[in-house]
Amino acid sequence: METHQNDDVLNVTIDAEIYPEVVLLKCLYWYTNNFEVEIGKLNNLQYKITLKALHQTETLDWDNIVLKLKQDLIDFKLRQFITNETQTIRELIIAKAFAYYDHEKDPISEISDPVGFSPQSIKV
Amino acid sequence: MIPTSAITNMQSRKFKEVEHYQSPSRDYFLLPFKFHRISVEKEVIVNEVGDFLVVPTGTTTRIVAGEINSGSVSDQELYADLIANFFISESALPDLIEVLATRYRTKKSFLDYFTSLHIFVMSLRCEHTCHYCQVSRVTSDKNKYDMSRLHIEAGIRLMMKSPNPHVTMEFQGGEALLAFENIVYAVEKAKIEAEKYEKKITYVVCTNLALLTDEMLLYFHENKMLISTSLDGPSFIHNKNRHKPNASSHQLAVEGIKRCREILGSEHVSALVTTTTLSLEYPEEIVDEYVALAFRNIFLRPISPYGFATRNKDRNKYEAEKFLEFYKKALGRIIQYNMDGYFIREDYASIILKKLLTPFPVGYVDLQSPAGLVNNVIVFNYDGAVYASDEARMLAEMNDFTFKLGTLGENTYEEIFYGNKVAALSEVMTNESLPGCSECAFQAYCGVDPVFNHATQGDLIGHRPTSSFCQRNMEIIRYLIALMDKDKKIEKIFRSWITGKS
Ligand code: SF4
Repeated sequence: METHQNDDVLNVTIDAEIYPEVVLLKCLYWYTNNFEVEIGKLNNLQYKITLKALHQTETLDWDNIVLKLKQDLIDFKLRQFITNETQTIRELIIAKAFAYYDHEKDPISEISDPVGFSPQSIKV
Repeated sequence: MIPTSAITNMQSRKFKEVEHYQSPSRDYFLLPFKFHRISVEKEVIVNEVGDFLVVPTGTTTRIVAGEINSGSVSDQELYADLIANFFISESALPDLIEVLATRYRTKKSFLDYFTSLHIFVMSLRCEHTCHYCQVSRVTSDKNKYDMSRLHIEAGIRLMMKSPNPHVTMEFQGGEALLAFENIVYAVEKAKIEAEKYEKKITYVVCTNLALLTDEMLLYFHENKMLISTSLDGPSFIHNKNRHKPNASSHQLAVEGIKRCREILGSEHVSALVTTTTLSLEYPEEIVDEYVALAFRNIFLRPISPYGFATRNKDRNKYEAEKFLEFYKKALGRIIQYNMDGYFIREDYASIILKKLLTPFPVGYVDLQSPAGLVNNVIVFNYDGAVYASDEARMLAEMNDFTFKLGTLGENTYEEIFYGNKVAALSEVMTNESLPGCSECAFQAYCGVDPVFNHATQGDLIGHRPTSSFCQRNMEIIRYLIALMDKDKKIEKIFRSWITGKS
């Protein structure tokens, strides 16, 4: 990861193989309170991100911001890893949670029964 | 809380090579969980059903990298905790997946019965002239500003249609007691209908107590009604916040609380603090006042950002940070009282703690996903308009009718509760699917409030990095977890708040 900064702009070059777009988006979303964030592709292997300070402050502590950014990228990469790996099991838990819903009463339907088809008579 | 493992093996967050993440070979499988740093040394991991573990920083990296070794002495306890609490599993499909699914369902069981709280705004009139009040009017024009009996009846009819067998009918104002006759009318009507529809109704009157008479008290007693009043702290804060021409609002409230306790019993009277810019300077004094008045609970909530309040910038627009500073100081004082043997709990913390420490959901409108509007609460305004929440009707006072769902007597139950507006709202009512929240470890303890997003940020989805709702909740949740982790005595006190046992 390469970083360059001047006054109120920080440019970062990021390895696209390590940090896919989804990780960059989720991570940099949290920087949009203080920065104008731009994400672009430098080439197939690298992203270029630009953080431009939204507010004029006397001094921007770029060292700390870069440190935090590096840490956040790792955190969001980890989160994404867990999300991807556990997606199926998560969906299964939620599906099972609501599949067991006990209907106390038969569903009430306004469908009429002109040909002897009654939704109430269907055994579930 | 799930026991925290004593792990001393600190891990650094040094950047690691791509292979480190790409193909970890593990002896276990990951289950869905999220993490959040709570301090330099600690992070909290939270599973899909809201169980949490406080672990040393770097533990999530180690879990994902497959470095937790059940055979190593230093990892044994952590490994067991991670297995027992559904963070990892030894098989791809955990044997106890049914248990997890049932736990998930229990967490969302507040949805089972649909709307419970029905707010009837009986009158917009009020005899106070509070500077932060969003909605009330000092007027004697009953016809214009009181709810008509036709609207009361229509509201009760809708309430009876709620699938919920136990509903709450809450009378609000302005000052609700200015319309006492209509409250009696509404309760009597509701009693008859409740019998027909086999519903249990809890009645709540929200009042500043200034107009309370013995006749009213008797009626409340006969009908087991609850009183919810406002007490902003000692008189110099309360009277400044709540101006009543030629009288001390504080004195009237304190006397009213005493009379209510005598006739109705202490458990039938509760008070709420509204924090204004002035209150923020006096966290300890506010807590002391509640203790002096023998309260066993205190609800510290920030002033609503809507209505007249947003326009009164100097007095009311304060930063979330200032509120948090106030909140932490007040909480510290409350904890100290408990340590000294006086049981008093803070209600906002208790709601979050119940979510943290028990498998059960809490039916609190502001802290649930899907959101509480419509699912839990509906508001019938004095003029017959139906709103999705109390804040939604306050917005309407500023001519913003985004959350108006219909009109009493004109729209059917289906049109109001299952109409296009509610369908559109439901798209933005789950924090599991909102930007920022979707990755947040505190999702299970927090909530979602599209009305707040709309009022403060101009769109229903909202922008978490600049949302004071997010800033406030994220920090309060983090702070509560950190406090419990730091001091087991505090954890014991917090547990007593949710069990009610000191
Ligand atoms: S509002 Fe903030 S704290 Fe709450 S779930 Fe969303 S991101 Fe987390």
